[in-house]
Amino acid sequence: MSNITTNKEIKKVLFIGAGSNDFGREAEHDAAIYQVMPELRGHGVEVFVIDENPYALSLESLAATTFWQQLTVENIKKIIREHHIDTVAPLFGGQSSLRLWAEVVQSWAYGDGTMPNTLGLSIDMLLKVNNLPVLTAFMSEHGLPVINNYVLKAQDEANELLRELQLPLMVRALHPNQTNTRHVVERLDDFEDAINLAKVQSVTQEVIISRAINGLKEVSLEVLRDFRGNKMQIGASEDMDPIGIHTSDSLSVSPILTIQDQLIGKMRDYAFRVADMLQLQGIMHVQFAVDDETRRIYIIKVSPYIDQMATRMALATGYPTMLVAVNLAMGIALEDIVLPHNFGVNAAMMEPMMDHVVVKLPVFPFGELSEAGVSVKRQLNSVQKSIGTTLGFGRTFIEALEKAIRSAHFNNASFSPTNMANINDDELIQQLIHPQDNRVLLLIEAIKRGYEIDELAELTAIDEFYFYQLQHLHTLEVEIEADTDNIESLRRGKRYGLSDGLLARFWHTDFNIIRTLAKENSINVSYKAVEPSAGEFPENARQYYATYETENESVQIHDNAVLVIGSGAFRMGDAASGGYATTITLSELRRLQYPTIIMNNNPSDATLLPHLADKQYLEPLEISDVMRVVELEKPQFIVIPGNRRKLIKALRNLGQRVVILPKERHTPNGPNENQSEFALNLFYDGHDSYPINLTQHMAGEMRIIPQIAKMPDDLLATHIDNPGVYQVIWYQNTTHWKEHVDTSNIGHDTWLRPMPFGQVAYLTKAMQIQWIRLTIRAATNEMTEEDNAMLSTINQRLTTEQIGVIASDVNYRLHLQPSKVIDGTRFEIGVSVKHYG
Amino acid sequence: MMKRHLILEDGTIFQGLGFGSPATTFGEIIFHTAMTGYQEIITDPIYDGQMIVFAMPVIGAGGIHAEAYESVKPTISGMIVHDLAEVSVNRQRRMNLDRFLKQHNIPGLYQVDTRQLIRHLRETGPQKATIVDYADEHAVDQLVATVLTNKQVQNTATPKPYANPGRGRHIVVIDFGLKHGILRMLGDYDANVSVLPYTTSVEEVLTLDPDGIILSTGPGDPRTLPESVLTLIRVLQSKVPMLGIGLGHELFALANGAELKPLPSEHHGMNHPIQEIISRQIFYAMQGQGYAVDGETINRKKLFVTYRDLVDGAVQGLRHREFPAFSVQFFPDAAPGPLEATAVFADFFETVEDYVEHYN
Repeated sequence: MSNITTNKEIKKVLFIGAGSNDFGREAEHDAAIYQVMPELRGHGVEVFVIDENPYALSLESLAATTFWQQLTVENIKKIIREHHIDTVAPLFGGQSSLRLWAEVVQSWAYGDGTMPNTLGLSIDMLLKVNNLPVLTAFMSEHGLPVINNYVLKAQDEANELLRELQLPLMVRALHPNQTNTRHVVERLDDFEDAINLAKVQSVTQEVIISRAINGLKEVSLEVLRDFRGNKMQIGASEDMDPIGIHTSDSLSVSPILTIQDQLIGKMRDYAFRVADMLQLQGIMHVQFAVDDETRRIYIIKVSPYIDQMATRMALATGYPTMLVAVNLAMGIALEDIVLPHNFGVNAAMMEPMMDHVVVKLPVFPFGELSEAGVSVKRQLNSVQKSIGTTLGFGRTFIEALEKAIRSAHFNNASFSPTNMANINDDELIQQLIHPQDNRVLLLIEAIKRGYEIDELAELTAIDEFYFYQLQHLHTLEVEIEADTDNIESLRRGKRYGLSDGLLARFWHTDFNIIRTLAKENSINVSYKAVEPSAGEFPENARQYYATYETENESVQIHDNAVLVIGSGAFRMGDAASGGYATTITLSELRRLQYPTIIMNNNPSDATLLPHLADKQYLEPLEISDVMRVVELEKPQFIVIPGNRRKLIKALRNLGQRVVILPKERHTPNGPNENQSEFALNLFYDGHDSYPINLTQHMAGEMRIIPQIAKMPDDLLATHIDNPGVYQVIWYQNTTHWKEHVDTSNIGHDTWLRPMPFGQVAYLTKAMQIQWIRLTIRAATNEMTEEDNAMLSTINQRLTTEQIGVIASDVNYRLHLQPSKVIDGTRFEIGVSVKHYG
Repeated sequence: MMKRHLILEDGTIFQGLGFGSPATTFGEIIFHTAMTGYQEIITDPIYDGQMIVFAMPVIGAGGIHAEAYESVKPTISGMIVHDLAEVSVNRQRRMNLDRFLKQHNIPGLYQVDTRQLIRHLRETGPQKATIVDYADEHAVDQLVATVLTNKQVQNTATPKPYANPGRGRHIVVIDFGLKHGILRMLGDYDANVSVLPYTTSVEEVLTLDPDGIILSTGPGDPRTLPESVLTLIRVLQSKVPMLGIGLGHELFALANGAELKPLPSEHHGMNHPIQEIISRQIFYAMQGQGYAVDGETINRKKLFVTYRDLVDGAVQGLRHREFPAFSVQFFPDAAPGPLEATAVFADFFETVEDYVEHYN
């Protein structure tokens, strides 16, 4: 059965968004959809998109008809029916969209009309991909090395199986109702609990059991295939951490460093065979378990859709991944793809090569939670605990690692090196065997204490290469520390990516002194392009990273440019809204005809999409990193989120003009369970405050109160520093939604704060007013007559549609096992739209 | 590690730290963009006497493996990398890349801005270079005065015949600087292999009664080889199925009247799309080529083009119209490199089977 589309039949395409953010689901899908929709539009296709996530940029795209609706089978069917959709594109929304689309397909009835085609995958294959045991059996039939899955319903079947298979075993839910249900059972005592948990997590109460392969290396390959069967590899990475630690929680490295060509060749061959087997048109991520000793390879996961690996590889290599993937899905052959002019003519067909190292570090929510008095289980295992991702780019593993660590800028007590010194040897061994988020420091500590490398490699199942590297780093740091003010030491330190801040700490001085010392001795940064030919062909690159070598490739882009500082990795409370705000900022600055430069290190949001800014620096966001870019680019001003107070202060001290995107430093405290949080929302344009409306926030849900907002006189005089959206907040003991609140005397027990970006995104979509764009216009004195007219009557506008947002149901118990309930108002991970009334 | 220098013929000087042998070395410098297979690449005889710059920033992290040799004794003249890893994986845990190069008297240079060097070389093309301790005038003069050998095939090809017995078809390999990958592939088909010097006569070859002939890979410019090689090819191609690889492909083209031209930008890597013209299928393979067959000089009555590099259109494969003889410019033995290219050997053995069947 083949109903793969060819491009002539495609007239109306519906993208299914990924939905609210969750563990393992940042903004990568939204970024991908946002990027490919205009490309389809360019092919003359009419584009539609549905998503429930208020932070979805694709819902603000001008290239599509957008639907901010809950992702349900009914809503999707309705859009298909009313708009005569002929093709649905679930693969760019990732696994959750795929699952939802499979549900739509399976529930398709005669009365629903003609079923649309699926972009990139036949219905038959779609259903196979969506059913793990079926997919595994299918691969096994094709002679591919897989780990057998056993599906069962009852405990006694499980016990039977236990006799056949040996521990450790992997237990997970069939047809899971959430993203991540994997559990590795190592002790007999845990077996029954794991089975019961997986049953609950399964829509059909069925459980999959397979042999666990803990301790092997985990490797990822990203491949493409066109309708003619042409295949290419567009990225590869290895995890430093062995299987047993979720790949999202692992430190990952690109390119693959420790595995031989012959094994990589085999994996490539397997990945290509899977692509052929699925008759894929588009992109696929295949994960492998590799046993270095026996040279055996197992395919452990097949993801023929966009995921974090896809966006990470696109950024790491500079290959135009998303544009090519959507062309392939449209039925265009690899050799016929036409790319924008800034890519080489053959860029789509050349496999990207790297002449730099990219280290991915996960960002864990432990620090924020512990500040709020919530303790969680920190031990890493096969269930994902991280919520964000950050990349470090360098020319060596150490340099990339150092930069990734700085990008993650842990506010985490467990990352203090002195803390490590207090761990006794038994604890150290225990933690080496059962690693936590701070394992890199732990490994260094073990090296410090003189453990042998082969011993450590055996204990941790981490490749020796990494221990040699960490040993090297340790020696380097010891030598530098002992050699205060020595220029050669400074040069060595910079070459390996040590920051001015760290060097300053070693030498008991200030980062500015280090900066000056480096400058005086011509230890200068050199920026290298990230481009997919590894130097073979002349490039027209926009993406750069810093290193310390002889040749600098980056020159000032324009004397009128604006530098935008991104918000880095996702964190608790921020969710995807930081990336949303940064992306809209870039888009507005471009609309205002400023040449734009972005600095960021988060591969999972849209801020680093290839064409969003005129230039990108893939860098940590500490003051020394920012200042080096500033010295080269001489931007006319720098846009920066308001929570980066230290950075703002330091930049101002160094004479830079800073434009602030108002943002609170800490995630706001939420009301308690008997309370509601009320807000009088207002816009400040730099001179005057304009009341917008009133909102109520209760139990993780937020609604607009249908009432005209008025500013009490005493509040009008309140001093505000920067233009932006603000809110006057107060709590009230109520658990009912209000139709009206009395604001005449809200002067007491209230406080003013910048509106969290998440709420700004909500108001933007609910009111159809682009608040971030307006903020940028106000901050750059580019407000128009229309803007002023709109603002002066904004409080008269009552939204008739009853659209609220609600924190999505994140399974903290599964991921973090917290000591107490995590406050959804304060620590949102994901939110979705809710129509009420 | 000691500070050392790389001097290019055009006068450009790069500084780095020495590893491997501390000797002074001369050679033609080229760059390689493959991200895997450094051990295979530095032991491949096609790079005899050359200095290789790796674009891959970290080299050595996989150690040195018994199964990754492409020749027993590497003969490159130098290796230039950015970051050198010290990892030993062999049973004695005592053989990392640094020691390996020391053992074979090959100088290396690391902590070089290899990206700058590659961006420079892509403009200038390959040139003479030297690795020395001091970049003084003397060193530059030495470099200018040095005449590099053009006897690479003689340096690397076997002077004596030897066998690699198997129980399958009898394949004669004419050795121009053979890499192990070809023997490994023939081993996969359980071929009974005789490796012969390129000076072997037609009679000697035919006396062995081969089922197929492979013209091996090899280093340097094939035009420096004696005319007798071309005669050998011309006679053998009409009698026995033949596959030419790399230098063997270039010789096959020369023997059939085509000419070679230097590539404006040499191919050393495994990321160029190569298209099989008849099927339009695209695949990837390891390439190591400074020359290509000039498409304009091909006698279309004798040969036709089977594969092309889609980046610059360079000819990547030829087939004889009359005889069961064909050739590929890229390396189908996948050592290192993508496995999809090994289909060429399947083609070859199909041709061999047809031939054997025909004679039976």
